[in-house]
Amino acid sequence: MSNVRQISVFVDNKPNQLAGVMKMIKECKINVRALSLADTSDFGIVRMIVNDTDKAVEKLKAASYAVTVTEVVAISIPDTPGQLSRVLDILGNRNVNLEYLYTFLGKSDRSVSFVIRVDDIENASVALNDGGIIQLTENDIAEM
Amino acid sequence: MEKYWNKEIECASRAKMKKLQDERLVAQVKHVYENVKYYRDLMDKKGVKPEDIKGTEDLHKLPFLSKADLREAYPYGLLAKPLSECVRIHSTSGTTGKRVVAFYTQNDVDMWDECCARAITAAGGTEDDVVQVAYGYGLFTGGMGLHGGSHKVGCLTLPMSSGNTERQIQFMQDLEATILCCTPSYAAYIGETIHDMGLSPDDLKLKAGIFGAEPWTEEMRRSIEKSLGIKAFDIYGLTESSGPGVAFECSEQSGMHINEDNFIPEIIDPDTGEVLPEGEVGELVFTSITKEAFPLLRYRTRDLCVLSRKKCSCGRTLIKMAKPMGRSDDMMIIRGVNVFPSQIETVLIEQGYSPNYLIEVDRVNNTDTLDISVEMNPDKFSDKVKDVQKEERALAGAMKDMLGINPKVHLVSPKSIARSEGKAVRVIDRRKLHD
Repeated sequence: MSNVRQISVFVDNKPNQLAGVMKMIKECKINVRALSLADTSDFGIVRMIVNDTDKAVEKLKAASYAVTVTEVVAISIPDTPGQLSRVLDILGNRNVNLEYLYTFLGKSDRSVSFVIRVDDIENASVALNDGGIIQLTENDIAEM
Repeated sequence: MEKYWNKEIECASRAKMKKLQDERLVAQVKHVYENVKYYRDLMDKKGVKPEDIKGTEDLHKLPFLSKADLREAYPYGLLAKPLSECVRIHSTSGTTGKRVVAFYTQNDVDMWDECCARAITAAGGTEDDVVQVAYGYGLFTGGMGLHGGSHKVGCLTLPMSSGNTERQIQFMQDLEATILCCTPSYAAYIGETIHDMGLSPDDLKLKAGIFGAEPWTEEMRRSIEKSLGIKAFDIYGLTESSGPGVAFECSEQSGMHINEDNFIPEIIDPDTGEVLPEGEVGELVFTSITKEAFPLLRYRTRDLCVLSRKKCSCGRTLIKMAKPMGRSDDMMIIRGVNVFPSQIETVLIEQGYSPNYLIEVDRVNNTDTLDISVEMNPDKFSDKVKDVQKEERALAGAMKDMLGINPKVHLVSPKSIARSEGKAVRVIDRRKLHD
């Protein structure tokens, strides 16, 4: 299966926290392909897909960040009405629970890419495959 | 084989020790009465004359001294020798109010060095050891105290003072330090830094650590012992009575032997001042029976602990004090419940978190709030917000079980809480209760 690794970083809900993480990424000349920030009143979780996961994780850990790597599904669907709904139906029909979802920083005119975090990635991946949804690999992402 | 610095004293029979204490106490009371007006007035007010004190059994007749007295008598009011006979001054950190200054004659310094020499010997130190003193040097007693003890034993002494942690570790490695002396929070930080630098205890020659000057828990001891690959010994003292070395731990690591040839301990009920029998928890009170320049009689330490004369496997007969449960200065009363930072530390280490934390107490709409910031353990971090919140609730639950009240726990980034090179600041109390 073509699962993709997502980096999550724990940050405090204070000024300059995301900036600190991005500085690390910049310093190792890594490109961010998808990014989302979950926030609570206390803390935030920066989630991202980058073009060199190992290097980014190593850099962040060395700087004492709490970092975790999770497997997620990345999909690419046509940029037309009803496409995301179709994806969600495919997952729902197989009883896959969606934790969260965010978009890639895309630049294609005709398609849009999403990161999907689910509770059962095996099941989700098979379901999407059966449904004819294009899943991106880390190689695809590195070449984006 | 247990080694002693002064076997004759450390293993003296009870009868011999009592005789020594009696003689010294009688002479000391006379010395203080004659030379310290402040205390003479207190004795007169209580109707006690030096002749009334014939031995340790009369100790309870003497008036107490408290930190408030020391502040009132600042700076010279409790001085018992002319300044020309004094050779040094030390001072408390002053975190809880006005500073207290203490004076030392050369004999006082020698006595203090002897106490620290006993502590270093009990931790396995001999003239073959290299002692790295990473307590702060200066007005604080930690640095100079262990420094003096280390010299006395004849150890090679590295007077590092605190701070510049990477250089500490470099020296520790290059000069093969075998005994580290510092505050437990700094020891924990050094341990953490060693691992961050990609080193392990195997890269060091350290075998023991002597840590004191702030309360620490058994859990923290085990964590420091593991990270530095050493046996960690507790040491107790206070500037008011000399400094570290008033009591020290032996190989049994179950309480500290009090150098009772110099300091007579009592445990009192903090509310009534009544002396409590051995084994009961109360406030620790010390009477210095050999100090010349700054001899405090019945000084209330505000430390809560227990004394024990149970036979110790190390062979010392010196009375033992349990690790203080907390200085009553450290104790917070939150929503009517007594809370010690050490309890919070215990929970954190049990739950696998770093013992670096910050307690913030405030009062909102007449209700006390307790917020505890805890550094996220990267191994427990999940990408899901609800998992992190669940972890916060689990920690709060464990704290509630320990404290009896519900705190709000905030997970914060690893290493975002300031590390301490000396005494750690763990509590910020914003309640304004006395204005």
